[in-house]
Amino acid sequence: MSLTTPIDLDATPTQRTIAFLGNPNVGKTTLFNHIAGIRAKTANFPGTTQEARVAHLHRNQIESVLIDLPGIYSLNLDLSESRVCAQCLDGTAAPVGEKAHIPDALLIVIDATNLMRNLSIVGESIAKRLPTVVAVNMIDTARRRGIHIDAARLSECLGCPVVVCSGKTGEGVDQLISTLDHATIPTRSAPLDQSGIERWAQDVYSIVSLPSDRIDDDTLTDRLDRAFTHPVLGVCSFALIMTGLFFVIFKLAAYPMDWIDMWFSTVGGWVGSIIPEGAIHDLMVDGVIAGVGGTLIFLPQICLLFFLLALLEGTGYLARAAFVIDRVLRPFGLSGHAFVPLLSSHACAIPGIMATRAIPDRRDRLAAILVAPFMSCTARIPVYVLLTTILFPNRPSMQALAFTMCYVLGAGAGLLTSLLARRTILRGKSRPMALELPSYRIPDLRSALLLTLDRGLVFLKKAGTLIVAISIVLWWLGAYPHVSPSQQVQDLQTQATLTTDSTQIIELETQAQTLHARQSAAGSFLGQLGSAFQPIFEPLGYDRQLTVGVLASFAAREVFVSTMAVQVAGTDDVDDDSVLESIAGAVRDDGTPVFTAATSWSLLVFYVLASLCLPTLVVTAKEAGAWKWALLQLGWMSFVAYVGAMLAYQIISGIGA
Amino acid sequence: MIHVESVLDSDMEISLNTTSLQKETATQSIPTSGVVEPVVLQPVRKAIPLTQLSRGQRGRIMHEDFPTPDSSMLRAMGLRPDASIQMCRLGEPCIVSLSGACGGGCRIGLAKDIASRVMVQLDD
Repeated sequence: MSLTTPIDLDATPTQRTIAFLGNPNVGKTTLFNHIAGIRAKTANFPGTTQEARVAHLHRNQIESVLIDLPGIYSLNLDLSESRVCAQCLDGTAAPVGEKAHIPDALLIVIDATNLMRNLSIVGESIAKRLPTVVAVNMIDTARRRGIHIDAARLSECLGCPVVVCSGKTGEGVDQLISTLDHATIPTRSAPLDQSGIERWAQDVYSIVSLPSDRIDDDTLTDRLDRAFTHPVLGVCSFALIMTGLFFVIFKLAAYPMDWIDMWFSTVGGWVGSIIPEGAIHDLMVDGVIAGVGGTLIFLPQICLLFFLLALLEGTGYLARAAFVIDRVLRPFGLSGHAFVPLLSSHACAIPGIMATRAIPDRRDRLAAILVAPFMSCTARIPVYVLLTTILFPNRPSMQALAFTMCYVLGAGAGLLTSLLARRTILRGKSRPMALELPSYRIPDLRSALLLTLDRGLVFLKKAGTLIVAISIVLWWLGAYPHVSPSQQVQDLQTQATLTTDSTQIIELETQAQTLHARQSAAGSFLGQLGSAFQPIFEPLGYDRQLTVGVLASFAAREVFVSTMAVQVAGTDDVDDDSVLESIAGAVRDDGTPVFTAATSWSLLVFYVLASLCLPTLVVTAKEAGAWKWALLQLGWMSFVAYVGAMLAYQIISGIGA
Repeated sequence: MIHVESVLDSDMEISLNTTSLQKETATQSIPTSGVVEPVVLQPVRKAIPLTQLSRGQRGRIMHEDFPTPDSSMLRAMGLRPDASIQMCRLGEPCIVSLSGACGGGCRIGLAKDIASRVMVQLDD
């Protein structure tokens, strides 16, 4: 109840749950978004990976809870989404945060341009004996195609109200909302068995559809389909569209990323100035703000990726692209269904792994989950930037080439992993694809924006909880135990107090600070861990400082750059070019450079291949259904990364010698 | 049996390019007991795999032989006996349009593997 609504003791039902049910690609979510707008949020069904959008609307002193169920072809399929829908209608399951009870009304959304097949799910649903309304959606498209549907007759055949509408133009939506208040239990019923329902659907269809007054012209759709799935043309158009997609993402995201970066350094400075020096100051500035800022900087890329993917999906192209990619992935034991998950993994493996839910076959799904973290995510970019800059200073074309090679190496390792998995633990071929190809349409901007908002919030929530926690732990490990200034540092400081030349004072103090920071980093828990683990990374060419960088990266890869900065320069302000230069010029404890060509290549290979992301492992375990898959992923990726990096180091240092 | 074969062979327009394998399938689909007569009265059209339709040709699904995990899903997607089907693109993937009489319908992309398991009867 909103606060402005007076409390009415006589009001009978105060909350009504309305479930939206329908086939995929019928515009159900567009219709839902039209009604619920920005008030909707996404919630999981407990114990499953299925999601529903839920909105609470207040109207006439009644709170309506709208639940947009996953799109399904039938309630009786042995698929997770079908089971969830059936349970929701039976009142045994509800999205997280809602009370599970039998819905007060059921809205079945059907596609006016594909009535006969859509009637099957209507037949299955009216057997549930719930107050029902049927929305014949996409009526605008149907009219354009010369399709006539007699809504009054359909209502008679089903024994419940029928409203024709269009979620896209808004036509009939108001009438639909008021009809939902008077939903009635259908007075008719359909047969219960599959073939009975099919015959029933055919009969109803022949009664309610009027003969078309024009012959449908699918020439354009046919031509586009043939072009987009053509062995050569299809691959070319795919490559063009994907290049455009990534170009736009990287180009456009650069501006908001700069703003976020600036904003966080300003906030860091401001917070640093108001909190007195001490543990809390360091925790806030070096732990929380640095950690969250380092993660939020990727928000624009993630939002743009989801927005553009949602637009592309809205055009109907993605289903065609899946078939093009199927040809490429099939020899490696992955199906075309894995295309969107693997594409999303280039932004972040977490939404990528979550998107594998759309893969129907369990083995295909597991293979895609195992492979997804090999795709170069945006968190690797800062590390790639650092290392390619060190390897090829002032040679942007070589930097770009090395950058591209990182992406190719990651994807290649992923495909080989899948090939290996499909011959051993996930034996068998990927299941042949069958996919509905939605009509080509102009995408719905509102739905794309709502989805982006939703995904962005999920990411923010993650940054606000898990990443803050990890940053605090890391900061603590890096800051404690406090190392008191060594004799060398004290000597430098004493010298500074004795000197009168102001430039020399600054120089000596900086030297003292840098030395102290290095010694503190070495003496901290993280530094001690680095010394303990360094022998393992010796064959890869890493010293103690790099080992600490790699270990810190297990929380999140991008931490590598700031950890290195903290260790070598005693500052974590990596925006400054001079800091990047100082990382590049870092020296080992024995005075030799940290970043030789061999070490840099070895690190680059390691960061492409290693599973350095705790949240990804958690999501893998959740989505694959068992921790053994996450451990397998961690073990395998670590092994491949270790061997790859060792080969790179040994070969390049061999050539150099 | 001979009688049934001759009925099938008389259906020249379709059987011209069919292989012996499909003849077998068609023969099997016709009951060989006392139900032969109605078959003679109503000349049967042979069921051919969907993959043998040429572009633009329409047909009606007679039966399918999908592997079990896919079967109910494909059926719910609309690939069920008696559904009207039109070939839009041949090859891999094979694209078909499941169309209703009034021009509606949906498009489904099928791996060749699946398409070859759908048996259809050509429309006139």
